Amino acid sequence: MLQTLKLFLPALLPSWRFFDVIAPSPRIQFTLLNTENENPTKWSEFRPRPEFLPFITMLKRLLWNPQWNESLFMVSCAERLIEHPNRHSEEEILKRIIREYKKNNLNQGNLTASYLQFRLILIQRQDNQLEQTIVFHSRIQPLHRQNVQ
Amino acid sequence: MTLETALRLTEIITGFAFAQQSIEHLTSFRSERLLFFPRLILSLLLIIGFQAKWITALLVLSGLAILKYFQGPYNGGADRMSLLIIFCLSLALFAPTPYWQEVALGYLALQLLLSYFISGWVKIVNPDWRSGRALSDVFLFSAYPVSDSLRLWANSPRLLLFMSWAVMIFELLFPLSLLSETGLYIALFIAASFHFSNACFFGLNRFFWIWIAAYPALLWFQSRIFPLLLNNIL
Repeated sequence: MLQTLKLFLPALLPSWRFFDVIAPSPRIQFTLLNTENENPTKWSEFRPRPEFLPFITMLKRLLWNPQWNESLFMVSCAERLIEHPNRHSEEEILKRIIREYKKNNLNQGNLTASYLQFRLILIQRQDNQLEQTIVFHSRIQPLHRQNVQ
Repeated sequence: MTLETALRLTEIITGFAFAQQSIEHLTSFRSERLLFFPRLILSLLLIIGFQAKWITALLVLSGLAILKYFQGPYNGGADRMSLLIIFCLSLALFAPTPYWQEVALGYLALQLLLSYFISGWVKIVNPDWRSGRALSDVFLFSAYPVSDSLRLWANSPRLLLFMSWAVMIFELLFPLSLLSETGLYIALFIAASFHFSNACFFGLNRFFWIWIAAYPALLWFQSRIFPLLLNNIL
């Protein structure tokens, strides 16, 4: 109850500091593994952006944009994980990647994998260069034990 | 705009915005559907004006349950504005006298005003925003641009410098639009266009609908407060 009130207060007294600082931005990458001890060699970005998005699609997304909003929520979870590692955010990211895997939407090739792991990359500008740093590795999650509904 | 009209318009637009948000969760996990299907029904009831007082109270509880489920907002500022609007609306509908109704709706109007002014202030005090670099970074590496082709905008520093200053000046001057009703309508149209472009370029569709839901409160506030101020001055 106290925790919920703590979450509610910023809505009643919002700070409205939108984009005050452009902070380093996280990306989620995942790998599919056949065994728990396998060394990951291929990391893929989760839901990479399309090269181009037609204006008509942008307009449709005004009313129907669930996947993008979910991706933004996963970015929030990634930011929370980097700031204060917690099981909830890790679970939220894992279960959403696993759901995509079970729908065969991941395009990573490995359709018989038994395990999944994700990692977080932080992208930031250093002078005029973009710098990428690996900041978090999730636990290795058995795919068959995760109940996705 | 009268208080009654502002309250009813807020109910309708908020109901629509909540319904739009809720529908997006109906293809998600079962536990999310259980949270958002009742919210969709409540939103539709709010639109038609059925027992609005109790429906807003239930929507506040639903908002708190969602906040707890995701351990924070699902969609950042849009969720916070959603909770703020439904909370103020609920307070206004439960208020025992018109005076307290006005306090509740006035608080929402004030927060809407601050949402633009503070956003402008925190940008203009940042040298990266003043040089256009911050907006360039948004396009270059933030998680928001909806396609890779939009990232190429980072290579147009003059355009981004112009856009940065346009946004900062508009946000900072927004409170002055309260000086006239026509000025406020024009400012709200520009603000809605700004949210529309954010929805297109950054996929922030929920911000577009929920910010518009708070506009009737500000239109009422302007018509309620400024005649009083003018009378006092003259």
